[in-house]
Amino acid sequence: MDSKTLKKFIKIIILTLAISYSVDKLIFFSLNKISDKVMTGQAVGKLNQFLSVKDTSDFLVFGNSRANHHIDVGMFSESSYNIGVDGTGIAYSSTLINTLQKEKKQLILVHVDTKNFIDSTYNSQDIRSLKTKFKRNNSITEALNKSGQLSALQHFYYSMNYNGTAIGIIKNFFKPSYDYKSYNGYDPLEVSDSQESIRDIVLSKFISKTCLNNYNLNQVALKHLKSIKSFVEDSPNKTFIFITSPSYNDACTEDNEKLAAIMKDFNLTYWDFTNLYKNNKNNSFWKDPTHMSQKGAEAFSKLLQEKFKSTLN
Amino acid sequence: MLFNSIEYLIFLPIVFVIYWLLKSSYKNQNIILLISSYVFYGWWDYRFLSLIIFSSFLDYFVGLKLNAAEGRDRKKRWLLVSLCSNLGLLGVFKYYNFFADSFASTMSAVGWEVNDLTLNIILPVGISFYTFQTLSYSIDIYRGQIKATKDMVGFFTYVSLFPQLVAGPIERASNLIPQIENKRTLNVTLIKTGIFQIFIGLFRKVAIADNLGIYVDSVYTNQDIHNGSTLLVATVFYAFQIYFDFSGYSDIAIGSAKLFGFNFNRNFNFPYFSRTLTEFWRRWHMSLSFWLKDYLYISLGGNRKGIVLTYRNLLLTMLLGGLWHGSSWNFVIWGGIHGLFLSLEKYTFSALKIKTFNSFGYIYTFIVVLISWVFFRAPDLPTASSICGKIFRLDFGPLFIGDLNAFVNATLLLSMGILIDLKIFRSNSSLEDYGDRFSSVKLSIIVSVIILALCLFYSTAENFIYFQF
Repeated sequence: MDSKTLKKFIKIIILTLAISYSVDKLIFFSLNKISDKVMTGQAVGKLNQFLSVKDTSDFLVFGNSRANHHIDVGMFSESSYNIGVDGTGIAYSSTLINTLQKEKKQLILVHVDTKNFIDSTYNSQDIRSLKTKFKRNNSITEALNKSGQLSALQHFYYSMNYNGTAIGIIKNFFKPSYDYKSYNGYDPLEVSDSQESIRDIVLSKFISKTCLNNYNLNQVALKHLKSIKSFVEDSPNKTFIFITSPSYNDACTEDNEKLAAIMKDFNLTYWDFTNLYKNNKNNSFWKDPTHMSQKGAEAFSKLLQEKFKSTLN
Repeated sequence: MLFNSIEYLIFLPIVFVIYWLLKSSYKNQNIILLISSYVFYGWWDYRFLSLIIFSSFLDYFVGLKLNAAEGRDRKKRWLLVSLCSNLGLLGVFKYYNFFADSFASTMSAVGWEVNDLTLNIILPVGISFYTFQTLSYSIDIYRGQIKATKDMVGFFTYVSLFPQLVAGPIERASNLIPQIENKRTLNVTLIKTGIFQIFIGLFRKVAIADNLGIYVDSVYTNQDIHNGSTLLVATVFYAFQIYFDFSGYSDIAIGSAKLFGFNFNRNFNFPYFSRTLTEFWRRWHMSLSFWLKDYLYISLGGNRKGIVLTYRNLLLTMLLGGLWHGSSWNFVIWGGIHGLFLSLEKYTFSALKIKTFNSFGYIYTFIVVLISWVFFRAPDLPTASSICGKIFRLDFGPLFIGDLNAFVNATLLLSMGILIDLKIFRSNSSLEDYGDRFSSVKLSIIVSVIILALCLFYSTAENFIYFQF
């Protein structure tokens, strides 16, 4: 490589780094401005709405898509919010719980699934869904830094925080998906006539996961549960209930028993409803083997509401 | 080590700097390339380095013997040593379970139960690629097309050169060994075209292919609940996913090689802009299709032994080409579909005395390729048949969207990918040379835009599709 080539090469590299770094910041700050005003959509809007109502609500639900679709928070309180989001797990819930004001009196329901606790591959990757708040919310930034889920490049290229969400944010900025003021985070799953037959095929073919004799606990999930436990201990005004909502057909009980034992060790209130509807053979309660339909969710929410009343009063 | 990993982002500049610091001695540069190639491969599983070293040693030795051997018979004997050893290794690691399983199924069908013969064998990454590369070396020497090299380090570097080690392009010894055995230079053209191609490759793989893959995976893993329109869209997405995935890999490989002063052959030349299937195969995975033509089709007799044998040779070449991709009947059928239509095309051209189709040929070619991709992507034959059945029965209905964000991103990125391809295709240039038309400033701006597009749209797939082959 002669000196002329070397100079050209260095010029291209430096120019590329300088241009990409500058434009990255421009994009990042523009998207920050836009996304802060977005209150609809699952990617950012729902999180923004949660952050704006979290300390004024009486009842909050945390968890994954099963929490989102199974718990009709409107039946419990008018001042409530369901921050259940597709594809999230215990890391996501734990991070958001730690953003709450400790003094505020609230009823908190945390939906947990055994999967997070027995899946050896779980590494808190769901926390990446919060990266739009990286460097903008101290508590979330701290959790993201600790999680090891951020790319090293993220410290140079901030727009990576909006990976996969930019178009959705811009769309919701110009055309909100719904009226967020009347939205409480609960998304019922409707099953149309055409979907019923497919649902029935899927349910009839469904085979429960293979049961193991011995389940090893995932230490990452356990670490996040411990973090929630610390928060529970520091927040005497809040009531925390942990639940697992119904599944269509879960043949294994060992993992549920193991999770129940951990909750007991941690002195956390845990209700396991996994097999609540196992024997009722009512397909209309289900959208698929993991998620209940609106009908199932409403029946379950009603039952949960009654259990709350009898337990908490 | 994956091209789209942080590790590679650190590995490449380190090797680049050390390599060019040693520019006074190309032999020292080869040693660095060899060591770094073994590090690159060993990052995945160092135990399988022994296979590459064995394969390199074997063909180095056979090459020297072939050179020295006098008489056709002696040469043939040494060639057989290379063929049997290389194909034997490939057979054990890649096809043993497939044939054992097929044998047990056949026996069971005739009422003779055979105990499970399959073994727990891991498929070493890249074995199909470097085996074909070493085989071509021995065959070329046997045919008298090249001379065997005496430079052991150079030959080992040829087999394991990291940009092309795990998924090609399958480089011929006649192209690569002379470059390895001579001083390399790096000029501005190589830098510009190399950098441009690396980043276009990353965009194709990480942004386009991986985003398309999200939708394809969600549909193909639950194909029984989806209607024909959803399966059709997923198959179209897959056609572009595999193209952008593999061509993206090849672009990064070719671009990376340029930074070390090497010129690899093209591997893709806008294959979906083909009016015939014959043209498609001149544009798709060119290093494999030319390999199959030169070492299999022509060895079988090519088109020199009459029309019937020409069709047989075409079909056989494509069936074996299909099997090269993986040990499954799906791949054989995929190859069979291509072989059948290539034969039909040949017949049509000779009957109608034409050389190609008109513009409708683009649609015909894409449809044939699309149908064959169903067999390539589906996990087994019943699934592939069920998908084809739903599409051909026109069992259409509302389109499944799944994650709306992911679907919109995939569609947008696919459109961008097609537009970029169209732009380069219509410029009568190749992607390999395209970067040279930009000034340094313009190139930096383009690369910056690609970097930011990657930041906003990258998706995290575990692997490149062709790694499994």
